[in-house]
Amino acid sequence: MLDIKNLHASIAGKEILKGINLHINAGETHAIMGPNGAGKSTLSAVLAGNPAYTVTEGEVTFNGKDLLSMAPEVRAREGLFLSFQYPVEIPGVSMTNFMRAAVNAKREHQGMPALNAGEFLKLMRAKRSLVELDNKLTGRSVNEGFSGGEKKRNEIFQMAMLEPCLSILDETDSGLDIDALRIVAEGVNKLHTEENATIVITHYQRLLDYIVPDYVHILADGQIVRTGGKELALELEEKGYAGLMQ
Amino acid sequence: MSVQHLHIAAGEHKHLVIAHVSDETAQWRITQEKDSVLTIHLFCLEKDDDTTCNALLDIEQVGEYAETYIYGLGVLTGKQQINVRTHVRHSVPNGKSSQLLKFAVKDNARAEFVGELIVAPNAQHTDARQTNRNVLLSPTATMHTQPQLEIYADDVKCSHGATTGQIDESALFYMQQRGIAPDEARRLLLTAFFHDVLTTLGEQEVEERIQRRIAEKLQ
Ligand SMILES: Nc1ncnc2c1ncn2[C@@H]1O[C@H](COP(=O)(O)OP(=O)(O)OP(=O)(O)O)[C@@H](O)[C@H]1O
Ligand SMILES: [Mg+2]
Repeated sequence: MLDIKNLHASIAGKEILKGINLHINAGETHAIMGPNGAGKSTLSAVLAGNPAYTVTEGEVTFNGKDLLSMAPEVRAREGLFLSFQYPVEIPGVSMTNFMRAAVNAKREHQGMPALNAGEFLKLMRAKRSLVELDNKLTGRSVNEGFSGGEKKRNEIFQMAMLEPCLSILDETDSGLDIDALRIVAEGVNKLHTEENATIVITHYQRLLDYIVPDYVHILADGQIVRTGGKELALELEEKGYAGLMQ
Repeated sequence: MSVQHLHIAAGEHKHLVIAHVSDETAQWRITQEKDSVLTIHLFCLEKDDDTTCNALLDIEQVGEYAETYIYGLGVLTGKQQINVRTHVRHSVPNGKSSQLLKFAVKDNARAEFVGELIVAPNAQHTDARQTNRNVLLSPTATMHTQPQLEIYADDVKCSHGATTGQIDESALFYMQQRGIAPDEARRLLLTAFFHDVLTTLGEQEVEERIQRRIAEKLQ
């Protein structure tokens, strides 16, 4: 599904990704861990097409297509979803109008007719219940005045609405209380199928107790320095990065 | 250039919509008597990319407890130019005025807003507000804003604010990441930007018509 080969990327003239190689098949869950500043969010931003970053080398294939040549909105419509580490507040743009535009853009891309008002509201209601997102929140402007945890829950609600084929969850667990973490993780698990894949970026084993990864990668200084099974995260928890890398 | 004179009698409520100000100068001289209420809506949404618009609003409150509301919005594209000048004079006590003007400027267009607010020495208990917010949609677009406050009375409530910014790039990328095309994203962001001006119309139907005009202009 996703094939990253020797990916280099920089921001403001500074190289952050220094040759990433990663292969992800449908049905898999990959965890990416790594110290602060290693380049985890940079990798997700580059995959999503954030124009602030420049790809200097390498290639990325997504479902057989050249991902890096697509505009960000096309990547999204092709099924790539990023749950932002820091979701953006958009005052004045209602969650409803925002989601309707997103859902219908994807449907149009797939040659499907736009949802009518009734169908759309039904979909909103169904997906909201998946992550137990408060009705009041979908009635407000996008993320405006949402608490940290509410923003993260809202990201997974949007993921449920858009049914992506590859989801990148960038520290979706940070800011969530114990109960919210379980609810959000269960939501992610319910959305998981043999046709889609998930990349979970996290610092903590706690999330991986719920979302059990097939592979764990350690990203340090712009490169994947180790790859293992779910037990690698446990080893990391025990030894820390310094101990692990010795 | 002709000046339109308007005298608003005591207790009278007047609503003025100034919508077509292309290639001419819309100049108004308005005096307001006691307890009168004047509401002006100014729209600069000319389709033609090559027009120059001038709007001069010269308003004086000559009777106490008069209220003046000026709401304006404009979307300027191509080589359009606009020059909006408001001159609001509180000559007597207990008056109220509130101005809210917003402009989105694109391409090589240029917008200028000069807001003169004068509170005469005896115009105590005046409550005057002026807000001007602008967004530049292209690096070559320009906005010039100039609030001029002359306040000669001491027991008054006056405030003014002027800001010029750009479309929030992080919001734009967030929306694109959800599959929304940049044009559509910008339209949603600008609808949000103009929202508070539009709601002052108090008529859903007119509001929607103006929104469509804004969307057309931005295509
Ligand atoms: N605009 C910028 N100019 C220069 N350096 C930048 C810029 N933006 C990010 N960086 C740097 O890129 C590096 C990688 O940042 P990134 O956000 O990808 O790290 P991360 O692995 O996600 O870290 P964390 O675990 O803290 O979220 C950091 O050293 C950061 O300071
Ligand atoms: Mg990060």
